[in-house]
Amino acid sequence: MGASIYKNKKPAIIFLIPAFLFMIVYLYYPFLQNIWNSFQNIRQLGSSGEGFLNPWYSNYVEMFHDEVVWISLKNTLIMMLVTLVGQVGIAIVLALMVDNITHGKHFFKTVYFFPIVISATALGLLFNLIFLYDKGMLNQILEKLGKVGLTDWKGEGIALFTMMLPVMWQYVGFYFVILITGLNNISDELYEAARIDGASTFQKVRYISIPLLHNVICTCSVLAVTGALKVFDLPWTMFPKGMPLKSTFLTGTYMYYHTMETKNVDYGSALAVLIVVLGIVLAKVVNAIFKEKDY
Amino acid sequence: MKRFIAAMLAGTMIFSLAACGSQPSDGGVETTGTKTESTTSSEGTTATAKPVELNVTTTFAGEDGNAQNFKNAVKAWCDETGNTVADTSATSDETFKTRVTTDFETGSEPDVLFFFNGADANSFIKADKVVSIDEIRAEYPDYASNMNDNLIADSLVDGKKYAVPVNGFWEAMFVNKEVLDAAGVEVPGADYTMDMFKEDCQKIKDAGYTPIAAALGNIPHYWWEYAIFNHDTPENHVQVPAGIEDAASWVDGMLDIKELYELGYFPDNTLSATDDETFAMFVDSKAAFLIDGSWKVGGIVNACQSDPEDASTLDADKLANFTVTYVPGNGDRKATDLIGGLSMGYYITRKAWEDPNKRAAAVDFVSYMTSDELVPVFAQHTASALKNAPAVDESQFNALQIEAMDMMSGVTSLTGAVQDIFMGDCRVTTFDGMPEIVTGKLDAAEAVEEGLKLYHAQQ
Amino acid sequence: MKKKISVGSILVYFFLSIWAFTTIYPIIWVIQNSFKAKDKILADSFSLPVGDLFTTANYRKAFGNLNIFGAYRNSVFISMMVSLLVILLAGMAAYALARYCFRGSNFLYSMVVSAMMFPVFATIIPVFSMETSLGIVNTSSWWLTMLSVILPQVAGNLAFSIVVLSGYMKSLPLELEEAAYMEGCNAFQIYFKVIMPLTKPSFATVAIFAFLWSYNDLFTQMFFLRRPEMRTITRLLNELTSQEGTNYGLMAAAVTLVVVPVVIVYIFLQKYIIKGMTAGAVKG
Repeated sequence: MGASIYKNKKPAIIFLIPAFLFMIVYLYYPFLQNIWNSFQNIRQLGSSGEGFLNPWYSNYVEMFHDEVVWISLKNTLIMMLVTLVGQVGIAIVLALMVDNITHGKHFFKTVYFFPIVISATALGLLFNLIFLYDKGMLNQILEKLGKVGLTDWKGEGIALFTMMLPVMWQYVGFYFVILITGLNNISDELYEAARIDGASTFQKVRYISIPLLHNVICTCSVLAVTGALKVFDLPWTMFPKGMPLKSTFLTGTYMYYHTMETKNVDYGSALAVLIVVLGIVLAKVVNAIFKEKDY
Repeated sequence: MKRFIAAMLAGTMIFSLAACGSQPSDGGVETTGTKTESTTSSEGTTATAKPVELNVTTTFAGEDGNAQNFKNAVKAWCDETGNTVADTSATSDETFKTRVTTDFETGSEPDVLFFFNGADANSFIKADKVVSIDEIRAEYPDYASNMNDNLIADSLVDGKKYAVPVNGFWEAMFVNKEVLDAAGVEVPGADYTMDMFKEDCQKIKDAGYTPIAAALGNIPHYWWEYAIFNHDTPENHVQVPAGIEDAASWVDGMLDIKELYELGYFPDNTLSATDDETFAMFVDSKAAFLIDGSWKVGGIVNACQSDPEDASTLDADKLANFTVTYVPGNGDRKATDLIGGLSMGYYITRKAWEDPNKRAAAVDFVSYMTSDELVPVFAQHTASALKNAPAVDESQFNALQIEAMDMMSGVTSLTGAVQDIFMGDCRVTTFDGMPEIVTGKLDAAEAVEEGLKLYHAQQ
Repeated sequence: MKKKISVGSILVYFFLSIWAFTTIYPIIWVIQNSFKAKDKILADSFSLPVGDLFTTANYRKAFGNLNIFGAYRNSVFISMMVSLLVILLAGMAAYALARYCFRGSNFLYSMVVSAMMFPVFATIIPVFSMETSLGIVNTSSWWLTMLSVILPQVAGNLAFSIVVLSGYMKSLPLELEEAAYMEGCNAFQIYFKVIMPLTKPSFATVAIFAFLWSYNDLFTQMFFLRRPEMRTITRLLNELTSQEGTNYGLMAAAVTLVVVPVVIVYIFLQKYIIKGMTAGAVKG
């Protein structure tokens, strides 16, 4: 960035102050309180602490010994891979396809957004009915195909798959919209020039679209990784309390579970701290990966 | 406790009009609501005071069967007194409870609150943010005088009474008769025992049906309560054991559920199903027994109506498949000893009490809402704490409601649920841990011990 | 760009259509089930609501004693204000983060990313107490109540918006800004005259998401919107369907009432955005 316009840094402060003031008052101050809470003994969300835990960091010690924390971390990690490869990957493919067709662009752009509009409760219900044991859409189809006995899609072993598929599906549209916005930014003249030079569609994608999307893809990856850490509503609707046998907890649902369900608010606060710390670290990793690969 | 039960049964089973509250046009409220002499304490308080706005928060909202009754009653009260009510009621769920707690913490609590009287109320009672009934009576001697004091729950914090109750609940066993017929099993009666129950379950299972509709991985609460109750007596059930040495009934209860699970009497997917799914199995005649609360009467009736709004679309033949009966007993607990009682009531907050403008209005509002005329409208086929209950007109009820009343008339005791005291993270090991217990991944005694430890650490 | 119909493009259309089907069908599914009685949904959720299956009971109930239009007004007002404030504040911050390189800019970016992670369950109570002490919570004033929801929702959407906007701004070519600078524009003029128009598509995306999240954010609304006349549509319909959660028909009707207006607005907005977008803005 060699531009001399941005040598004078003073305007930056004015640009930054309103948003950061807002975030400090409404997010950072509450979150500091949350960190404080994680050392306290709080038995109901909304009530004040009943003094410090003994020792004050015991929630963090407990976290290491809590098997479910590890399960949820493992699941979240899988979820991250699924979001990166599945959501962002599919979204890139779809966005490039839509960008390269002539007819029906608007149609696809519109309908791919639909899943985000419907509330998680309704989607949860829909997927519950698809995966219903006795007898949802899938089990009905399997039966017609001659399968004997019902498949418990939410049973042990397969539950993780049943949970991740809808989450993945829902957010493809989200990344699609961000990516297609990025693609719109690429000038037609570049493509035109490439066409004159005799480039194939694939080459245009490889040498123009992808490199110019670099920043947007990086943004999507940061969103995907951090999003996986706090994804909550759809998994919770379909698999409340980490059913079955606490095997489907994610960090987001586990935090909610302790804050709202078990009333172990201080432990929930500690889990929130864990989520944020992991989020920052992973976002840094993603940024570092994308920085190296400057096109 | 004996006195409690006797009083409860002596004249307090109130059955009123209003078929399950699903007919908002029911005239019950309007006719009673306009009576000015409905409360003795209202005299002299409303006429002189200038109109005030009361902030009222209740759980009579949304799909609650009494939401419309409450609206009507509030309107009638406002018309009568000239006061206004800012009704901030919401459906009772975890967010609502959090909101109420937060309100008290931050000083934005309502003037009158209809809320739980168990452990949920501890935080604001401890902080002295609500006024006890005795304190109110010091100034308004007739406050809640139409209630039987023995039936008003004591606070878990200080043993005082705060909340004036309206409608109660019971938990019993619903039965799908179609499944029972197919399996050649009789509808259980008052002398039903756990052994007979197991025998019947085996028959039902052999006939190709699921004996018990329950989602142990989602809502094990009803089985949890009764399994423990089956090793307790009505006298000692509502006490949390001091330690694992005293908790034989709890451990045995958990082991009973484990046994039923191992015998295959729960649905195949009981660990991964939601409560809605297993309830659907019951309604669709795939499962025979369902232990649930009095509110499920409405749920089953609704499931038999093609238009949930319109009682005339009720499929009477389908409804005739269902009945409600006692819960299989064991040892000192007879099948007719049920869980139930009055778990909620009206609180007056200290904020309203100390506001000279609002004090009289708040007292009058609660007295009005808990009057002899209004309580039966809300209580329907559940219990209430009235001293003098009016007679019941049976023609207003559907078949299942009448069977519920018959069932209730044979009840020998109603005991509170110990899980209403046993709240918070102490529940985790035995409620959310139920799948681990029944599959043997977690030892029942260990789970109980862990839960009790957490419970006593909180006290 | 004229193209011959190749096998490749047929395949492309095929894949796009399959995905489109998976996104359209759920909406159709929800709408068709909103016309069925709740006991029929579990048994027959994938068939059309014709004949005996058809009922308007769910809608009669929803419209019966609820002030749906007032709720739409509240929802739209809140969500519009949230969108507007978010693009205003986030745009400026994103610009500074994308273009200025100074000590601590990485730190500020990390602050934004971590703000994105703060679970609302962890922050709501302090926010509530804070707003209570400001005296804007639980009053009878409509404006104050709306404000009490708008402010936390703006904060909640800022971080995400800054990340998306700054990602987009980074990929804008510098030439235009340099040209403007040569002509004597200062940083503010550059932002409002050059950057903002160029970032319009991304602003639109962010505004849509902020609008949607605010519109669907039940948890915050549960806390701050108590009085019946101040409820939003999401809040209102949740109240209608939350009990026991088994009235699927009513739930489907509620979802339809919440979703369909948004979809319609989105379709119109989409057209507008595309029209307003200047593909050749970088003509320099």
